[in-house]
Amino acid sequence: MRHFTRCLMGAALLVSVGSSAHAADDTRVGLVPGGPHPYFAAWDQAAKDAVRDFGLAGADYKVPQKWELTQQNQLLESMLSQGYNGFLIFPGDSVGTVSTVSEIVGNGAPVVTGAGCLKDPSEAAFCLGTDTGNSAYLGTKELLKVLGQGKRIAHFTGFLVDPNTQLRIDAVERAAKEGGATVVQVIADIDAPEPAEEKINAYLAAHAGEIDGIVTTAWVPAVVSANALRKIGDKRIKMVGIDHDEVVLKAIKDGFVSGTMLQNPYGQGYVGAFALDKLRKGCTVKADAPFKSNALTAKFIDSGTIFVGSDKVDTYVDAMRDETKKLLAGFDTTYLTCP
Amino acid sequence: MALDEAPASSSPRRAAPSAGLLLTNEFGLIVLILLFGAGFAALAGGFLSPFNLFTLGRTVAVSIVIGLSMMAVIATGGLNLAVGAIGVCAAMACGYAIEVLGMPWPLGVVAGLAVGAALGWVNGWMVVRTGLHSFIITLATMSIFFGAMIFLTRAESYRALPAAFTTIGRAKIGGVVSPLLLVTLVVMLALVYLYRFTALGREMLAAGARPEAAELSGIRVDRIFILCHVLSGFLAAVAAVMMVARNGAAIPSMAGQLGQDWLLPAFLGPVLGGTLLNGGKVSVLGTALGALLVALLTNGLLLLQLGEFWIQSFLGLLLLLAVLIDKSRRSFLARRNLA
Repeated sequence: MRHFTRCLMGAALLVSVGSSAHAADDTRVGLVPGGPHPYFAAWDQAAKDAVRDFGLAGADYKVPQKWELTQQNQLLESMLSQGYNGFLIFPGDSVGTVSTVSEIVGNGAPVVTGAGCLKDPSEAAFCLGTDTGNSAYLGTKELLKVLGQGKRIAHFTGFLVDPNTQLRIDAVERAAKEGGATVVQVIADIDAPEPAEEKINAYLAAHAGEIDGIVTTAWVPAVVSANALRKIGDKRIKMVGIDHDEVVLKAIKDGFVSGTMLQNPYGQGYVGAFALDKLRKGCTVKADAPFKSNALTAKFIDSGTIFVGSDKVDTYVDAMRDETKKLLAGFDTTYLTCP
Repeated sequence: MALDEAPASSSPRRAAPSAGLLLTNEFGLIVLILLFGAGFAALAGGFLSPFNLFTLGRTVAVSIVIGLSMMAVIATGGLNLAVGAIGVCAAMACGYAIEVLGMPWPLGVVAGLAVGAALGWVNGWMVVRTGLHSFIITLATMSIFFGAMIFLTRAESYRALPAAFTTIGRAKIGGVVSPLLLVTLVVMLALVYLYRFTALGREMLAAGARPEAAELSGIRVDRIFILCHVLSGFLAAVAAVMMVARNGAAIPSMAGQLGQDWLLPAFLGPVLGGTLLNGGKVSVLGTALGALLVALLTNGLLLLQLGEFWIQSFLGLLLLLAVLIDKSRRSFLARRNLA
């Protein structure tokens, strides 16, 4: 993770080339996930870099003690009282957070949702996240490239209460059907170490011989599956994971995992802070902005996803940097109307 | 003795009034609240801002009712671990009645409260029928109720609630006071009246203090225990309906997995407030002050930015400390014949 952070700092420096630093302003951005999770660690560096590159008065990454809507609400309310005036939020609940966001916006602080969206209608300016269905679809396609026709795959994914999970399950199923493969097992509700270890290891102990490939569409199952395949030591089972945990990256280098679908949490934090600053300075969201739609909102911006195999694993930060650069280039002219 | 502090029986020995007052939980809590309040006002920026005072009051309003819900069962020497699960079921029933059945919102609220009371009756009936400790019964029903709710609602939220209802959660009286605080005040006064001025309330406390003696006095202890659980379920439903108004939606995750997120506030209020865990004595004011102290500390620590992850540990320590202090206090009173 430390290596990753260092790389991100370097990446951000490169990204910032060409984006002139603004004069210092009074924008204080709070970046608040729904609870503790390694996926969001990149938001911390993104906040620091946004302060430096965009001349913000401050930007802080604040994590609720646990995944509990009330805790997140209390943290957000206290941050508003402390003078934070722009928020990038991963909603603790796609419906339950709508009211809190409405209250924050009512107090003059714009809100962008990151990595997860609010269910429309909401007062969030837009949602900046991974097109989870597309990422799962592309990841499965990459796996099938390695496996070939007529193979059997298992899918390990996240919490069922997360609306993204069903999208991922459907996307993997669709890609498998198109590629002539069969999804023989879906194990969900395991985006936490204990259930992931228990269920994935138990499944592989009993059924490893019955599958040819694994696709994982959540962080913890990707880590646990990569470790399990390393322990088994048989590289017959091919796997495509998700995200950039060191365990998964090392497993790609060592040939136990074929690749991973990189998301762009850093870009969400960095560009999110940039957009919030613009909104505070009087910019408004364009009525005809080219937003995408997903299951929750019609104001969705894809923060980018990319497949990283063994050929790119050493330069994956460059890939992330490129995604962030793409996202930032012309963001304000594409999505905002500024005075 | 505080007005609302209701023991099952009064000691024939008269306590020295000044010493008695100074040694009450309520007095200690008031001192702590004033000290911490003054400290946070001096040290934490934004603590006295109208928005912070409003959100603090709103949080406290719900926490107090959750604490009172647990207190109603602790009065019998029992526990209700299903407080959160009952609350979520009541909230979802309220949402279902309004959104799906098209009931006017006051009727929907009544439906939610009725479901809460009914689930409380189930708990009480099972405790009385089986003779098992309420800890075991409510541990089981916590999973049963929550699981049934998830199955019936498919974990879908109800958000098409009338503005007249949801604005209650966001309205401000005088720019600072949440209407939810008034609801809590009414609940508190009703409970003070129940325990202090009605035969039923005194029977509840007598049955909790010495069930055998109460039985010999002609009190139908089984019926009283069931009523205590009904009251607990009803109060959990009141808290849940308040949260629905606050969130603007009825959501399955509002009290966390199995409703466990409510357990710590449910215990902290009554235990800090001087309610005896072995039954027979309750303090409505103490429970409210205990909940206020917890909310105040959480709010102040968040504003001081001392690290969000310490707050949960700190609250657990506070609970342990309160129990130990109460034990010392009772020993001291016993030695001086003041109890």
